[in-house]
Amino acid sequence: MVKYIARRLLIMIPELWIITVIVFTLIQLSPGTFLDQYRLDPSISTETLKAMEKELGLDKPAVVQYFYWLGKLVRLDFGYSFYYRRPVVDLIAERLLGTFVLSLYSFVISWIIGVVLGIVSALKKYTATDKILTVVAFSGLALPVFFLALILLYVAARTGWFPIGGMYSPETSRMDVWSAFKDILWRLQLPGFALTFGSFAGLMRYQRGSLLDVMNEDYVEFARAKGMPERVVIYRHALRNAINPLITMFGGSLAGLLSGAVITETIFSWPGLGRLTYQALLQKDYYVVMASTVISTVLLVVGNLVGDILLAAVDPRIRYE
Amino acid sequence: MRKVLVTLFVSLLVIFSFAAYIGEDATGKKGGTLTVGTLSGPRTLNDTVSKETSSSDVITMFMGYGGTLIEMDENGNFYPALAEKWDGPRLTKDGGMEIIWYLRKGVKWSDGKPFTADDVVFTLNDVYVNPDIVSSFKDILRSTNDYLPKATKINDYTVRMYYPEPFRLALRYLGGMYIFPKHVAESWVKNKKFAEFWTVDSINKKEIVALGPFIPVEYVPDQYVRFTANPNYWKKDKSGTQLPYLKEFIFKIISSQDAMKLAFENGEIDIYSPRGTEFAYFKENEKKFNITVLSYGPAYGTEFITFNWNNKDEAKRDWFRNVHFRKAVAYAMDKKKIIDTLYNGLAIEQWSPVSMASPYYNEKVTVKYPYDLNKAKAELKLGGFTWDKNGKLLDSKGRPVKFMIETNAGNKVREGMANIIASALKQLGMDITMIPGDFNTMVNRMLNVGDWDAIIIGLTGGDEPQGGNNVWALDGSLHFWNLSPELADWVDPKIYTIPDFEKQIDKIFKENVRILDDKVVKDYWAQFQKLASENIPLVYTVNSLRLYAWRNTLKNVRIGLLQGTLWNADWLYKE
Repeated sequence: MVKYIARRLLIMIPELWIITVIVFTLIQLSPGTFLDQYRLDPSISTETLKAMEKELGLDKPAVVQYFYWLGKLVRLDFGYSFYYRRPVVDLIAERLLGTFVLSLYSFVISWIIGVVLGIVSALKKYTATDKILTVVAFSGLALPVFFLALILLYVAARTGWFPIGGMYSPETSRMDVWSAFKDILWRLQLPGFALTFGSFAGLMRYQRGSLLDVMNEDYVEFARAKGMPERVVIYRHALRNAINPLITMFGGSLAGLLSGAVITETIFSWPGLGRLTYQALLQKDYYVVMASTVISTVLLVVGNLVGDILLAAVDPRIRYE
Repeated sequence: MRKVLVTLFVSLLVIFSFAAYIGEDATGKKGGTLTVGTLSGPRTLNDTVSKETSSSDVITMFMGYGGTLIEMDENGNFYPALAEKWDGPRLTKDGGMEIIWYLRKGVKWSDGKPFTADDVVFTLNDVYVNPDIVSSFKDILRSTNDYLPKATKINDYTVRMYYPEPFRLALRYLGGMYIFPKHVAESWVKNKKFAEFWTVDSINKKEIVALGPFIPVEYVPDQYVRFTANPNYWKKDKSGTQLPYLKEFIFKIISSQDAMKLAFENGEIDIYSPRGTEFAYFKENEKKFNITVLSYGPAYGTEFITFNWNNKDEAKRDWFRNVHFRKAVAYAMDKKKIIDTLYNGLAIEQWSPVSMASPYYNEKVTVKYPYDLNKAKAELKLGGFTWDKNGKLLDSKGRPVKFMIETNAGNKVREGMANIIASALKQLGMDITMIPGDFNTMVNRMLNVGDWDAIIIGLTGGDEPQGGNNVWALDGSLHFWNLSPELADWVDPKIYTIPDFEKQIDKIFKENVRILDDKVVKDYWAQFQKLASENIPLVYTVNSLRLYAWRNTLKNVRIGLLQGTLWNADWLYKE
């Protein structure tokens, strides 16, 4: 097992390298550079633009820029943001908590709700409960998140029950820890709901489908024939077998924890990595985009690995030797 | 009646002559927090690095207002600020020009250190004109022949600034310059790291030292910036109370426009700039939300359609360089329709390249082209164009008139304008294709590639026409329609020609800044407006109005010709 993990981690290095090359090439190929946004400003002269180009290292060929960046990355330096003139690491660190809190909250809730409702829905298949749950799930899948978010915001404004977005209010820093925690939890509800509603539905349908598949297997029939209680049949025999595809998904979705949710973050003014990356992408702030891509990639690869390890832990049939 | 008027006039005169600085005759109550929404937060607090309003709005709060040598009020009048008075700008014996600033005594930086001539000299000589420090302010300071000013200290409270040639705008730009604290900034300049001076994290490190009314003390990324009143701000109101009145000022970062609107309705922010589509809604609900909503004067930005005179296609070059063709386009532009359908009536027609709010705007000399398709047809005939039997427009050599109009996708107003203009031109028999495209790609093609026919785009502007130098000068980098081959290598020097009116305009831009007599300057700008509107290289569309809304609890708000809700933030107060 250790050998397997070591091998997987080793493969990660060329994997990451190739991905950085692809992302860098794509950014370079996309039209425009960081300085384009200033070219239409009558107050900025061509000389100033040239001087800025030199100052930011944009006058060097793309290949040189890439290896310069890679050299820094090896030393765990993500480079400087053109826009903020600050280390990219600091920019990301400042927004990590916001992103993590929001993603984790919706991640945990959507997994709990998704799995539980999926089981309920499978066990009560074709009943009214199942049908209602299916309708809810499909509306969650069908409703675009920006639309849902705007509706939530509108409701918040009309009722006054929730603030109009934001994670911290200017008052938060003056509250004691407990009130601040409650305030943030309160502010988390709407963006959390917007994110959860879209993602739990898929999980629920998956859980329902895979459990239904397993329920038709011979060994479930056999367990019933042995006279086992239905509870044991479902939770010990059926569910353990039905959970495998979800674990694979679990690993995959770990990557989403730090990649941020641009739309939800923007509408609810949530301080997250999604907004930072999106802005950076629009403004061609290369190194911010690269750093956030590297982080997502590492998380994706690690998430898959975690998924595979969990799978081996849950299912004794799976061996990685 | 006459007596009343005279008394009124005299009392006005008294008020004006007594106000030694902006805010001296203010009245109000101390305390309160003003919260303003902004779509994105500051990127930097360093004025030499900052290039977007989200940063400069924050910088103004601690470096602007009483933090500059002189200040401008809502109607464009200059008032003393850190400079109690000044001599000049006046010519010197050697043909140069000087301004002598007499600084206010006893002013302290927010950290308690005294403010002296050394700070002013340091800011100009070591920061803004320093060849190692890149800043766009340097471009603004350059005189006609690219000279930069130099400051010398006469004594602790007197500074002389000198240009080797006359430069009309020196008073305005040098007087409005943001002043850096020498005792804090000097080491950054010496270490050649000034671009990293005062990044946004300096707020939480409490590194900001300033002369303006509000000092930023807390920054939560993408959430808010909190300022507290500068305890050492030098201004006092009528009753001797220290300004600013407000205890705190907050920029709340609300990243979506819809959320911003709801936040204003719910009272989370105090000031809002309504979009044209929201104006009527807020106006109707003024009482319900307890707010004041108004529209005032035209905004500075311009929108126009321009043509590529150096197009690779000879036929297109011929049309676009033909003044009658451009006049026909101008006559075919239905500005009333644009205003009604795209701006909800909240805009006015624009004819002159000088902003209507500018003191140099001259309506008399400006030629107007009200919507009239018959006149457009007449102009086309004058230009040698004819129509075939199907009504298709042909030029004098029998080539059908066919070209593309581009604009940036996603900008609903510009797309709408493009549609209105294109459909009118089609009625004239032209074959028009409308193409919305990515903004950056379009700008790049416009300036560096040159494979475009006509583009609808906008530029920022100001009350000083010289701000358009980069657009109108022959070697200007934004001289889109007829870029100099020296700047753009796609322009073939063999086909590049400069019409007379362009040479004259170029001369006006070069020479007006050397003249210190405002009356003569006005004549120069009148001539510019006449030439530009007669030859219309840029066919202007419309000017949107500036729209404001604020809570009635906010007092002392004074909207003027040039400034909006925040120009007097140091004496606004809240009830």
